[in-house]
Amino acid sequence: MSGLPKIQSYWLMLIATVITVAIVNTSQLITQRISLLLDRQASELLAADLVIVSDNSLPEEYVQQAVNLGLKVSRTTSLRTAVFIEDDAQLVELKAVDSFYPLRGELEKTVNPGGDKTKVQQGPRVGEVWLDAKLESLLGEIIALGKSRLAANWLLTYEPDRGGTLFNLAPRILMNLEDLSATGLIVAGSRVRYRLLFAGEEGQIAKLSGWLKPRLGEVETIQNLENARPEMRRALERTHQFFALSIVLTLVIAMVAIAITARYTASREASKVAMLRAFGVSQSKLFRFYTWQLTKVWLIATLAGIGIGWFSQFPLQWALDGWFGKELPPVNAIQPYLIAAVVGLISLAGFSLPYLVNVIATPPMQVFRHIRSPQSIRRNLLVSGSAIAAVFLVLIILMQSSKLAMATLVIVLAIALLLPVIFRLMINTLLYSAKPGFWMRQYLLSRLKTNTRAAVFVMSGFSLALLSILLIAVVKDELLSSWQRQLPDDIANYFLINIPTEEVSELKQFLESRQVRLSTAYPLVSTRLTHINEEPVDTIEFSSPRAERLLHHSFNISFALNLPDDNILVEGKWIDSNSGLAQLSVEQGMAESLQIGVGDILSFSVGSEVIEAPITNIRSVFWENFKPNFYIIANRQTIEDLPQTWLLSALIEDAQKGELKKLLARFPSVTLLDISELMARMRSIVERASIALEFFFLFALASGFIVLFAAVQTGRHERQTETSLLRALSAKTSQLYRVNVLEFTLMGTLIGLFSALFASLAGWIVSVYFFDIDYQFSPALWAYSLVSASIVLTIAGILVSRKVYNISPMKILRT
Amino acid sequence: MTENNLCISVQKVSKTVDTADGVLDILQNISFNVEYQEALVIKGASGSGKTTLLGLMAGLDQVTSGEIILLGEKLGDKTEEQRSAIRAGKVGFVFQSFQLVQGATALQNVMLPLELGGEKNAAEIALNSLQQVGLETKKDTLVDLLSGGEQQRVSIARAYAVKPRILFADEPTGNLDASTGHQIADLMFHLRDQSGTTLILVTHEVELAKRGDRQILLESGRLQG
Repeated sequence: MSGLPKIQSYWLMLIATVITVAIVNTSQLITQRISLLLDRQASELLAADLVIVSDNSLPEEYVQQAVNLGLKVSRTTSLRTAVFIEDDAQLVELKAVDSFYPLRGELEKTVNPGGDKTKVQQGPRVGEVWLDAKLESLLGEIIALGKSRLAANWLLTYEPDRGGTLFNLAPRILMNLEDLSATGLIVAGSRVRYRLLFAGEEGQIAKLSGWLKPRLGEVETIQNLENARPEMRRALERTHQFFALSIVLTLVIAMVAIAITARYTASREASKVAMLRAFGVSQSKLFRFYTWQLTKVWLIATLAGIGIGWFSQFPLQWALDGWFGKELPPVNAIQPYLIAAVVGLISLAGFSLPYLVNVIATPPMQVFRHIRSPQSIRRNLLVSGSAIAAVFLVLIILMQSSKLAMATLVIVLAIALLLPVIFRLMINTLLYSAKPGFWMRQYLLSRLKTNTRAAVFVMSGFSLALLSILLIAVVKDELLSSWQRQLPDDIANYFLINIPTEEVSELKQFLESRQVRLSTAYPLVSTRLTHINEEPVDTIEFSSPRAERLLHHSFNISFALNLPDDNILVEGKWIDSNSGLAQLSVEQGMAESLQIGVGDILSFSVGSEVIEAPITNIRSVFWENFKPNFYIIANRQTIEDLPQTWLLSALIEDAQKGELKKLLARFPSVTLLDISELMARMRSIVERASIALEFFFLFALASGFIVLFAAVQTGRHERQTETSLLRALSAKTSQLYRVNVLEFTLMGTLIGLFSALFASLAGWIVSVYFFDIDYQFSPALWAYSLVSASIVLTIAGILVSRKVYNISPMKILRT
Repeated sequence: MTENNLCISVQKVSKTVDTADGVLDILQNISFNVEYQEALVIKGASGSGKTTLLGLMAGLDQVTSGEIILLGEKLGDKTEEQRSAIRAGKVGFVFQSFQLVQGATALQNVMLPLELGGEKNAAEIALNSLQQVGLETKKDTLVDLLSGGEQQRVSIARAYAVKPRILFADEPTGNLDASTGHQIADLMFHLRDQSGTTLILVTHEVELAKRGDRQILLESGRLQG
């Protein structure tokens, strides 16, 4: 149809849609790759379909029953021991496996670090061991394990039931089960973990599980696929949640960009459409034309967005590799591309179609005479309704939860509705409080007042974009700095555990004489929770799967005179050490999982003895600080007579590490845990996540600039007419310059102020309630917001002004 | 007519513009003079080049050839900035579509050119000017809320506030009904008589044209008679 715009006229809307599709495609590809990895880990985590774990050797009747049911069976035994690399003692996780292991998944080994890997269905042969890559220096040697000498011929590169490698403290050595007894490592009192692995048909596994449950001993637990996935530590969870939040925020900016560009395009088309309608072109014909134009925009945007998204996954993959100790598996499904295309379509149609319907349905006379009728107000409601529906649909698709989508929608809507009200209020306050006498102020304010609707729309849009960017920035910084605050350079890098009571002072002396910095010594009493309020825990039904896991673990109860550092009392009073009555302090997460609180009485078994004590307080624990932390703390009197070992944390410098061999020789029962690598790994997770987020930040910034550009374009015609009038009234170039630049600076300042206010508020809410980290008021955020918004908009004002100077004042005679 | 008496001199002025179909002649070889305090009416049909000629005389645009001398200054070699400086405080405008700053009050609109020129008593002068057009009671009313006739009065008050030596009026009654248009014309000529301002008036209305001291007629960009 001649006279109507070609596809090139929609380029701004096209870019906004490309960015939307790219964001969705990238995030879908990456999150699906992470999910694939997690699924793979879950299914392989057991190397079987069902596993029984015990601290004692397992009865032969379990094996017999499984064989009778036609199931395959395998046995593994694991324990911690030390090997020496030159003079350094290295704690290792020794695992002995039979010839049937693994029942599910495969092992992977190599002779060259970084060389080809071989997948195998069987573990080491008799007389050999396979080593973790961290023990690479021992490859090809004969290593001493207890009384045995075994050939280390292979590096173990993958082991299915190794689980999340993140929290495996010690490197693995895999050996044949037949070699284990000869090592002499298992003696009375050794901490050994025995596993029986079963695999077979689902029905048979269920039968075995049913048969086993009533027969399981106190220290025997069942692991199946449902409870196999290791609990992600909070840092990882937070980073993951934050990642999801950032994607949603970035998408919100991109959608704001589509909304503003759609409004701009529709306003530009209004007079053309009115003219064509005046000439008798039917509404349906115009609608078909614009629908086809939008379809073309969507098709081009989808292709370009998917292309950008596909390429973007590689830098993100680099940043995220290693989160889970492995490379992210590739995604072959079409779903990420489909979702990106659908989200692009919903966003484009949801935001732009109602505007175009509005423009097409408006009687030409209303357009020519700039009349707003009640019908146009109703049509505006259609625009809002359609936009809200589009955002909601997109959120449901991305979050796959209508509840979460609704919560996010409510927050976004609240901000989107509140911002215009506040901006309108502020413009009006400025306008009515301004006294005559300064033409520029009056002129500026009247400009804002005249175009209040447009100005408010633009300011709200840009503010929402800036707010999202700030929120990503503030929480990202908060996430990193909360880590840095908790991990000073002089933090302990070794835990010394299993210290007998009689050796505590001697061990402390040994280390202190070598200038090793030590923490307080904590007693550890290994217990198992048996009753809550005198009711056996086996008979209580817990809604949380975590509760089940907690009940099957032994707890180390310690004591402390004062509330430990980084712990916060959330309920009750701290233990009264003078009262002599039994008292317990319980960690908040554990209390929530077990549905217990202050006043509840817990009973624990310690060997043949029983502890029974009321909970006097609940405290939150910052687990990521790498200090000794405890689920349960009791008063000294409650545990002092029970069998216990002690724990110390120590900062052992590189120069002092030569003493470790002497330490282990003198205190053979003590186990050393090197946590420096774990700390480095946790740091790396947060830092890499931060890099990944910065990538999304680029999308957010690109969307922000589209919003700004569309905003500047929106008022261009009015600005040119007004500048032309000022020229006719003899305004100097410098005056024109000032008025244009100041208009943008004023808008920037207002935007900066509100974005900082809302980002602080939202940052506080997200930090405290969502990520559970302390939020610190940041003057830098305010400065950043004010300065960046003012500068960016001032630069926009300067760029706009440059074109405005060349406008002939004759324009005013033609208007 | 002595040279000292010349307010505006239009000498062999032509104006052409480039269009997709080639060069279009809007004005061709126009010459005439305007004396101080004279009321010159430029008549002509739509598209005859009246508004273009008014714009060129006021220095709002540049001639393609020829010369215009405004208040003794040649406009041909001046930049936009310099032409704006020549107009400052000496030239007023009344437009067909009023061209007021929407969202500002009547008083603020009248103050605008005064403050642009650095006038310190802008509010006082503007109020005085509004009194002259009978709108002092509506000084604090937003111009958006005024009727068409009232808006044009504000426009006239704004034009006269700077005590211009020349007032350029482009179809000042074109957007008004006959009765209101008549009142506006009365007001404009009354103020012109009071102040002795030179008036350049573009109109196609015969009755209004008759009120000028002299009329010139444009037809297809050429001066007739």
